[in-house]
Amino acid sequence: MLGLDRIGKRYGRGPWVLRDVDLAVEPGELVVVAGGNGSGKSTLLRVAAGLTAPTTGRVRRPASVGYLPERFPAGVGLSARAYLGHLAAVRGVPARWDLLEALGFVGDDSAPMARLSKGNAQKVALVQALQATDLLVLDEPWSGLDAAAGAVLGELVATAREEGAAVLLTDHHGHDLPDARELRLTGGSPTGVVVELDRVGGLLARVSELDGVLAATAVGGGARLEVRRDASDGVLAEVLRLGCSVRSVRS
Amino acid sequence: MNALVRYLLADVLRSQRFLAPVMVFLAVLGMLYASDAGVPLIAYAGSCVLIYPVAVWLTVVVATAEDPVRRSVTVVAAGGWGRVQGAVAMSAALCACLLALVATGVPVLTQSRPYPPEVVAQGFGAHLVCGLTGVGVGLLCARPVITRLGWGVLAATALVVLPFPLGRVPPVGSVLGALNDQRGVLPVLLVSGACALALLVIATLTATKLGPRRG
Repeated sequence: MLGLDRIGKRYGRGPWVLRDVDLAVEPGELVVVAGGNGSGKSTLLRVAAGLTAPTTGRVRRPASVGYLPERFPAGVGLSARAYLGHLAAVRGVPARWDLLEALGFVGDDSAPMARLSKGNAQKVALVQALQATDLLVLDEPWSGLDAAAGAVLGELVATAREEGAAVLLTDHHGHDLPDARELRLTGGSPTGVVVELDRVGGLLARVSELDGVLAATAVGGGARLEVRRDASDGVLAEVLRLGCSVRSVRS
Repeated sequence: MNALVRYLLADVLRSQRFLAPVMVFLAVLGMLYASDAGVPLIAYAGSCVLIYPVAVWLTVVVATAEDPVRRSVTVVAAGGWGRVQGAVAMSAALCACLLALVATGVPVLTQSRPYPPEVVAQGFGAHLVCGLTGVGVGLLCARPVITRLGWGVLAATALVVLPFPLGRVPPVGSVLGALNDQRGVLPVLLVSGACALALLVIATLTATKLGPRRG
């Protein structure tokens, strides 16, 4: 199970790339991370895979994680066979040559990977990620694949989910993924102001209908609101009038 | 961990980037022992000066054989930065051991002077200490600690030159001093060896700490 708890990320004193991202992915679940260029999708995937430490927040992740980077490097001297064999040994699992075959790998698997086409190198990179069992973190997995291999990848992801793997991926091509959940990122600058309330009780429905409230989620006995920037004062006055207590206001 | 070390070493062998430091090492070693190199321990002091920068160079090669993207795949497959940095340190230390063996053995085979076993053992220990110090320094000058090649080269040059003006300071300076004096080598090796190992551990922990921040 993957759990991201209020993840924020900035590099040095630069702008926030991610802010207050919450996500839970259960075994067998698939979450597609969506958002425009530079909205922090790849950074979120790197945080989920354990490559990058978040600046704020906490991550829980299972033991066996597979990661596919957005662009697998071209100049690898090892052969596909040696590379997959070594990485399977690092995980302590048998190498999955069958997956490579299923994806329609074409070329010499004992020649340096630098000589493979982009699509075939992508297949090798995919297989090393699919050798993991608990969590698959795939950054643009369909990039460079032909239609046939793309369809097989869809089936392989479905099989991994049936076997209990949680999947987190980005997909520019908009593939049809059955019962996938979407997580939309807006980048480091959220569209509104985040207001946390206590003593909301049964008022949540009423609060969520106030003018300027973009999203409202119940948190314990309170609530977390995302409020349009220009309407924040009015919303605060109204929730106080209704008897709620304001715990924090962040922009 | 063994599988990870095997993978890293196989990758370094494939990349052939190890050739330059190894060639420099063998060429200078050949020059040192082309004729009579003098008293054994003093001759060993010469090759200890050599093994230190070569170990730094070779460690940077081992640590950066994978580019950052492929390293990220390895880190996830291995289960964290700590394991990968540990394996990088072990791989580089194995390379340093090999260099130390060669540097200790070559004069035994090529020189006409007698090289008694205790002298050879002291020589091997001295090379090992200087080599492992080089590994520690190399880890501090490579990704993920220093990410820019230019700064890495500058830092490595500075750290390689540093022991010489400092004089008899462990780990490298005191070993060279003891070899040149031809006495009291063993206690100096113990202290310097402990310092070299401490440097190696600190460098590995630093890289483990910085990896996820730079990533």
